Amino acid sequence: MIEQLRQTCRRLLEDGRVQVVIGYGQSVPGRPAIPVFIRRPEDADLLVWNDRCFTNLTAYLKRPEVRALGRPAVVVKGCDERAVVVLEKESQLIPEDVHMIGMVCAGMDDPPAAKCAACDAHVPRHADEVIGEAPNPAPEPPGPAQRYAELAAFMELPQAERMAYWMGELARCVKCYACRQVCPLCYCERCIVAKNRPTVIDTSATLAGNFAWAITRAFHLAGRCAGCDECTRACPAGIDLRLLNQSLARVAEESFGYRAGTDPQAEPVIGAYALLDQESFIR
Amino acid sequence: MHLKTFRRAARDAGLNPYLVEMANIREQCSWVHHDREAATAKAIEVIRMTVEKVRRNHALEPIKVPLTPRALVIGGGVAGIQAALDIADAGHEVVLVEREPSIGGKMAGLSETFPTLDCSQCILTPRMVEVGQHPRIKLYTWSEVEDVQGFVGNFRVTIRRKARYVDIDKCTGCGECWTICPSKKNLSEFDYGMGMRKAIYIPFPQAVPARPVIDKDDCPRLKRGKGCGLCEKKCAAGAIRFDDEDRLVEEQAGAVIVATGYKLYNIGRDQEAGLAGYGEYGYGQYKDVIDSLQFERLVSASGPTGGELKRPSDGATPRTVVFVSCVGSRDNAKGLAYCSKICCMYTAKHAMLYRHKVHDGEAHVFYMDIRAGGKNYDEFVRRAIEQDGAQYHRGRVSKITGEGGKLVVRGADTLAGVAMTIEADLVVLAAAMRPADGVRRLAQMLNVGYDENGFLSESHPKLRPVETNAAGVFVCGACQAPKDIPEAVAQASAAAGKVQVMFNQGELTREPEIARIDETNCAACFTCVRVCPYTAIERAEVRSPKGTLIKRTARVNPGLCMGCGTCVAVCPCKCPELEGFTEDQIYSMVMSLA
Amino acid sequence: MSMADQPFEPKIVAFVCNWCTYLGADLAGTNRLEYPANVRIIRLPCTGWIDFNLIIKAFETGADAVLVSGCHPGDCHYTAGNYHARRRWMFFRPLLDTLGIDLNRIHFAWISAAEGRKFQQTVTEITEATRRLGPYMNYRKIVEASA
Repeated sequence: MIEQLRQTCRRLLEDGRVQVVIGYGQSVPGRPAIPVFIRRPEDADLLVWNDRCFTNLTAYLKRPEVRALGRPAVVVKGCDERAVVVLEKESQLIPEDVHMIGMVCAGMDDPPAAKCAACDAHVPRHADEVIGEAPNPAPEPPGPAQRYAELAAFMELPQAERMAYWMGELARCVKCYACRQVCPLCYCERCIVAKNRPTVIDTSATLAGNFAWAITRAFHLAGRCAGCDECTRACPAGIDLRLLNQSLARVAEESFGYRAGTDPQAEPVIGAYALLDQESFIR
Repeated sequence: MHLKTFRRAARDAGLNPYLVEMANIREQCSWVHHDREAATAKAIEVIRMTVEKVRRNHALEPIKVPLTPRALVIGGGVAGIQAALDIADAGHEVVLVEREPSIGGKMAGLSETFPTLDCSQCILTPRMVEVGQHPRIKLYTWSEVEDVQGFVGNFRVTIRRKARYVDIDKCTGCGECWTICPSKKNLSEFDYGMGMRKAIYIPFPQAVPARPVIDKDDCPRLKRGKGCGLCEKKCAAGAIRFDDEDRLVEEQAGAVIVATGYKLYNIGRDQEAGLAGYGEYGYGQYKDVIDSLQFERLVSASGPTGGELKRPSDGATPRTVVFVSCVGSRDNAKGLAYCSKICCMYTAKHAMLYRHKVHDGEAHVFYMDIRAGGKNYDEFVRRAIEQDGAQYHRGRVSKITGEGGKLVVRGADTLAGVAMTIEADLVVLAAAMRPADGVRRLAQMLNVGYDENGFLSESHPKLRPVETNAAGVFVCGACQAPKDIPEAVAQASAAAGKVQVMFNQGELTREPEIARIDETNCAACFTCVRVCPYTAIERAEVRSPKGTLIKRTARVNPGLCMGCGTCVAVCPCKCPELEGFTEDQIYSMVMSLA
Repeated sequence: MSMADQPFEPKIVAFVCNWCTYLGADLAGTNRLEYPANVRIIRLPCTGWIDFNLIIKAFETGADAVLVSGCHPGDCHYTAGNYHARRRWMFFRPLLDTLGIDLNRIHFAWISAAEGRKFQQTVTEITEATRRLGPYMNYRKIVEASA
């Protein structure tokens, strides 16, 4: 697979199809692969592919300094490419402007990361080309029950315990905004926390400010989060932001049969409505 | 409730009214709380909140938008004619676009009208002539609206003038061309196939303009590119143009009235998705099973039979006629859920007209309910039954078959509780009213909403019945909902009145409490564009003086924004700001409660 | 903090739309329909404006319950603002639930300009229910930890 990936990279650069290939490079063994930006065909050998390729590289597509490099190709896993589909829906990318090199993925890390355990996208579906063999026989795709298993378990806790849990967790948040930086879908030019008239979210790392930030970050991804879990992986305080993302993803899936980034044709669920939306909670 | 009053008072006193806010300590405090201490404490907090807000108010000026005092009326049926005449008579220019060769619409083809039995053409054609001769009405027939750009006050409309093959400025309407035309056997659209017309034709004698059109599919010369040309040779005015082509013209308008009317439900099996049709009625299969508009032509004095009632198959006078109402209406299973509103009345009229023509004939009407609300309407139906002897049977028709030159109509009379079989010579089906073809595309062009049946949505069902949510676009007639002639005319005058109110202002004045977008920070996700109920937000580009693209951004059109603030809530980075309800104001109010 | 011998008086913040619920509250006044004085009404043009951050901010300022109210479906002055709001609330509530925020503290209601009585009843019920729940200690703790 690696050789094929490198060949693809060389070909795309030589043909002038793209000016930069965003891929994974070798870091210290055992540590997550680092992003590399290949701009010359002869550098293609820097690319690697292994079970440490966690990063969702599509997050780099929004960066002005990456955009300045020219037309990109990006190496994606089945989970990563969903972000590109969302970005296209939100007018942030034009499909022809990004070349997606899809990698068949058996799961990252050993044992596989949480998202990999419930993965149903081992083979990318929207990539321009796919490298690797689809597993044969194809594994049974997990259903919603598996996707939201941890959330369901968490929701078994009484409400007071859930609150106590988050008070403990969010107390550790230092407002470093790593969760925002790694998110491929956090592309605002000025984040709401930077708006100071009024200050909607306390910018210092107080517990109230951290709650407001956690709620805001998650809700801004309602119906949009592609589920790459990079926010959770990047959090230096080890806060399980995945649970919050999942609570919103579950509404989208259960109420609207919608999973962000899986179907380029599907109508978004936020910024839309149905006359008969559920309203049993409204008096 | 009283904010407007106090703002007006401030304005009269020479202050900017938008600097006034109200602390509602009467209706929402002293009048509803009896605990004096608690009410006073609340009043203090409400005042504190309001002070926090009003400190952040801005002096605002009403937004002025220039206006082209010229109306575009789309559709030249009775509604469009009425609207155009009202506006033109009030002194404003009108552009009237009609896609058929003549104005007149459905009403021009009707025989007589309920409940007075006026001859339809007698009352309509003088109005048509008025339109044709009005100095302030510019008439485009055989034309369609191709594109609409711009917004209230300033629409730019592209109109497709379809190739007519006749120069209407040179043509005198003398009729030599259609007299000599050898291509005779073409089904007349105006007669709904009940009669024939030439390849070069005017749809009916009183057409406005009285200028013919050549049907390129029927004309031997246009089909083969050579030969015939008799009309050209005969035309003394030299008006025939075999090389004519579609042309696009542009017109400016400040307001648009949509009056595109209706078509009939397609009764046969050939249906669009979701509609089953009534194949069992044999429409399209038996010549003597016809729809209501076809019957109108058969009993019309100007119709293909000269007003003599002859059935289509053999020209015989039908001795027994069955009228079936609610064909397609009020039928969730096969047709449409709604009531078409006019069928009860015109079916009574049909039965009456038939009995006036064939005194010893039998008129049977199958109905579900009789809905005859309206001035002199129920009396009219009673007259059909009691004086003119129409036989009404409450029940549905299940099947129509042709047997030995007769139509066997099987149905039920549920009041008598008996199955009925009638041998009929002619069957008339009261097909449901549906919006005219192409109205959805037009609605999308104009940003007007429509319901699941394709009828255009008024802005408010009671209080804004001719306005739409697209500012400057109005609706009237059957494109909005099934309705009869008096209602369509009333609505047309209402729409025309609204347009006059707008035009008489000279310029548009809009409330200044609207949204604007911080374009520097907009990330151009355009979610606001999707949610705006007024399509007031557009995708815009910021370019350098040299024209290079700096960034894309959402932008509010102040001529369209109504100030709901839905954009504020959906924007993740809070780039929209709603004047009068800025985030700064609202959050200050909340924080004053700490 | 309420003293032990005084009944607890909850603080309730209501975000209401200008065209339906605000006028419904006015009607309650015109009809002299009494209700507890615990509610503070903040008027917005439309429920479409009401952002979830406002609700959080209300809790940060010590609200014990929040009411969000606007026009009934189909009645929105701006046609669709309430539909968009309702869709957002469908997502917002499960998120808060996951965080352990008490959904009994957040109320949604459709109250029309004609429903002065419904406004009175809604506010009365919410006030009484919140009295029974007591002060929203959890959010107060969050705020106090931030001081």
